[in-house]
Amino acid sequence: MRNSFFRILILALIISSLGVLSIYSSTYQKEGTPWQDIHKRQMLWLIIGLACFFIMSQFSYRKLWDANYLIYGLAIFFLFLVFALGIIRLGAQRWLRFAWFNFQPSEFAKLAVIIFLARYFSRKSADDISLLSGKFGIFNGIILPFIFVAVPMFLIIEQPDLGSGLMLLLVFVSLLYLTNVRLKYILTLIFILILPLPFFWHFLRDYQKQRLLVFLNPNIDPLGAGYTVIQSRIAIGSGGLLGRGWLSGTQSQLYFLPESHTDFIFATFSEQWGFWGSSLLLLMYYLIIRQGFIIAQRTQDSFGRLLAYGISLLLALQVFINIAMNMGLAPVVGLPLPLMSYGGSSMLVTFIALGILANIDRTRSVF
Amino acid sequence: MVRKNILNLTIILMFGVLFAGLLNLNLFQGAKFRRLSDSNCIRLIAQSGARGNILDRNGDIIVDSKISYDVLVLPQELGQLDRIITGASRILGTGVKELEAAFRNNYFSSSIPVTVASNIDLKKAILLGEYKLEEPSIIIQPRPLRHYPYGSLASHVIGYVNEIDRWRLTKLEDYGYKTKDIVGFGGVEEKYDYYLRQEEGGSSVEVNHRGKFMRVMGFEPPRNGKNIQLTLDLKIQKIAEESLSGRKGSIVLMDPQSGEILALANYPNFNPAVFVSKRTRLIMGLFNNSDSPLINRAISSSYPPASIFKVIVASAGLELKKIKLSTSFLCRGSTMVGERRYSCWDVHGVQEIVSAIAHSCDIFFYKTGLLLGAQNIHDYALRFGLGRSSGIELPYQTSGFIPSPLWRKINKFQNWFDGDTANLSIGQGDCLVTPLQAANMMAVFANGGYLPSPYIIKAVGTLDLSAKKKKLVRVAIKKSTFEIIRRGLRAVVSDARGTGNVLSGLPVKVAGKTGTAQVSRGATHAWFAGFFPYDKPKYVICVFLENGGPGHAASVVARQIIEAINNHGLI
Repeated sequence: MRNSFFRILILALIISSLGVLSIYSSTYQKEGTPWQDIHKRQMLWLIIGLACFFIMSQFSYRKLWDANYLIYGLAIFFLFLVFALGIIRLGAQRWLRFAWFNFQPSEFAKLAVIIFLARYFSRKSADDISLLSGKFGIFNGIILPFIFVAVPMFLIIEQPDLGSGLMLLLVFVSLLYLTNVRLKYILTLIFILILPLPFFWHFLRDYQKQRLLVFLNPNIDPLGAGYTVIQSRIAIGSGGLLGRGWLSGTQSQLYFLPESHTDFIFATFSEQWGFWGSSLLLLMYYLIIRQGFIIAQRTQDSFGRLLAYGISLLLALQVFINIAMNMGLAPVVGLPLPLMSYGGSSMLVTFIALGILANIDRTRSVF
Repeated sequence: MVRKNILNLTIILMFGVLFAGLLNLNLFQGAKFRRLSDSNCIRLIAQSGARGNILDRNGDIIVDSKISYDVLVLPQELGQLDRIITGASRILGTGVKELEAAFRNNYFSSSIPVTVASNIDLKKAILLGEYKLEEPSIIIQPRPLRHYPYGSLASHVIGYVNEIDRWRLTKLEDYGYKTKDIVGFGGVEEKYDYYLRQEEGGSSVEVNHRGKFMRVMGFEPPRNGKNIQLTLDLKIQKIAEESLSGRKGSIVLMDPQSGEILALANYPNFNPAVFVSKRTRLIMGLFNNSDSPLINRAISSSYPPASIFKVIVASAGLELKKIKLSTSFLCRGSTMVGERRYSCWDVHGVQEIVSAIAHSCDIFFYKTGLLLGAQNIHDYALRFGLGRSSGIELPYQTSGFIPSPLWRKINKFQNWFDGDTANLSIGQGDCLVTPLQAANMMAVFANGGYLPSPYIIKAVGTLDLSAKKKKLVRVAIKKSTFEIIRRGLRAVVSDARGTGNVLSGLPVKVAGKTGTAQVSRGATHAWFAGFFPYDKPKYVICVFLENGGPGHAASVVARQIIEAINNHGLI
């Protein structure tokens, strides 16, 4: 019954290896040792990630239930630290500098919030062991958890990282949908969230407004904000059916495509591997997410189920938004492509999440 | 659970959207994006070949090309550009400001390399070539430029080269001409531009997003234009130009047996090199000069032929039996035509045809002309190739003009009077002839009755055209008539009182006719049209001096030329 473990492991390993290849192809021509070493660093993160995956798949996820306040607290603490440092240094900051790497707390916060919400909605009544969430009113069902989501969300958006912030909100809403909370409460929440959107426009930073406008029409600013989307579409499209071949993508290797090894790695990959490669990649992502859903569905434990759903949804939403943004189907928000984009935090958190997923399935079979 | 399934469906839908996006970008619009991707990173650097050379009849070079070097820079980020320009300015010894200004002026689009300096010398080009190893975005491009080893020699035959103008571009666009192309203006350069023209080659290079050179992708060698060989003889051409020595006018030397132009000289002339080096002040001077140095007088200007026209009147008179060899008229210095008195330039006494030609007696030709009538004179003039285009392969030739009563009636609503006939008989009035036409006309008498089609192109590339040229046309005039006129032409020189007697001292037997054309303003035009050697003519010569005085002046120039040709052993 360890099928799911191997399936997840193999899919994740293939995807992240393709990620390393893509990172190498987009940076190997750049000068300077930091660029030359970047794929090696990613490989290191991959190895550490795999280790985390093995550890987490052995580590009983039920312990997360007990540790959830600690995890949530830690996430808030780190986010606050970033926030405070940002104020001190008078500049945008998304990460904390550790000895030899940068830690991005917003990645960690996403997982923390999911663990927190999963626990929150799977608490059981002391009387009849039924789920409390079924009896939640609007305060317990919507407002209270929303506050718990809103705190890290606010801190992340302030960084500023609108993408990751909104990701939390999306995960929250979709998780809510999977709990027993009444639909009309959820619809009320969505309505309340959508209603003041035009009003929020004024709170957006200039570059964020620009990005949204550019999403509607990239050609309003082809050399500025629209540049990335245009170049990314060119990169993907120029791949054609079979791609231009590994190390032959001119868009990514001659630096026409900015962020070709991070947020726009999908375009880098697609330019080189074309329609076939990209379709296969999509299929692999879909399989890994579907595996998460299957695990969630066959788990009896409601905490495990919600956790599995949350992790799969987080993965699905990030993959979808990132690739859609690469194709110009979504506005450009700073979201990495899980497992592929360069970045240790995202890689580690994703592997940890996948480890938890594997553990949920493993624990189920033990029962 | 329903919610679960809806979520599942949503995920599938999301991936469906991504897949559709891939289909759209990669497959449906793939070709478009591939093109865009290529235009992002591929720059074409054109390299032009050399324009074809222009050679003389012996294959000696009249015009060729010599290599000059241009410095180009790929447009790129400002900081980078500053560094390149500073480096280049250190080597070139030109100011950074100048190079920057040149960059700004010549900048066309981000995808086209910009010329910052042109025509630099070889040493600097080599130094820059070394600098290129450091800074590959610098391009040193050899560019062949027109080179004129003889300066202004035969400038009107050759023409000049310059950037294409709007008018030509609109006409030639369909033949692959582009803005800023160098094309020929005037002369062979214009007429044979299509053959002389080089084909552009070049290399395609890959650049990065900053426009920095990455690597060369391909190279297509440029192709040189075809050489054009002229019928001109460099030696004779030089002799002709030297004899003009600053006098306005033109000289044509031609082979009467074939119609090949051996020399075609005009003054004032111009040095085509000023258009290559773009010396604006000198170029403007050429255009504004009231003496029109750019005009090829030998074919583009026409003048009253004056007495050289008398050979036509004489031929017509003999041919139509209005006069005979023995017919004589008495010259008393003037004669009455209708109510008006027409005078001769001298008092010649009794004149027969040979002596009338020799002395250029006006009275004899007034009377002959009146016997003939204007229409006959007109018709015979046309038989000798006057009044219509000579057919030479040079642009902007004029056909000259021979008036006739009918023409005057139709176009001017005026009647033709006997006085007009008298004027026409001595080549005055509305009658106009180009120096080339005069030479061509004289060729008929030189070769014994055949009208040539003068030509100047001997070969294009390796293709010899002389065999393809139009054959000489037999002029429908009796042999005996020609013999008489030829005797007259010879008498012009040999007769002690002949108008061209100055040519008699030469070792070569020359025959010809002088002319002194009266003009409304300024001094008379001087003509001499003739051929030599008399017995077996090899050359037809026409000397025309604009406002050059009496025909005698032209005879003197002709004498110099014939002497020089003789000294070179070309007879």
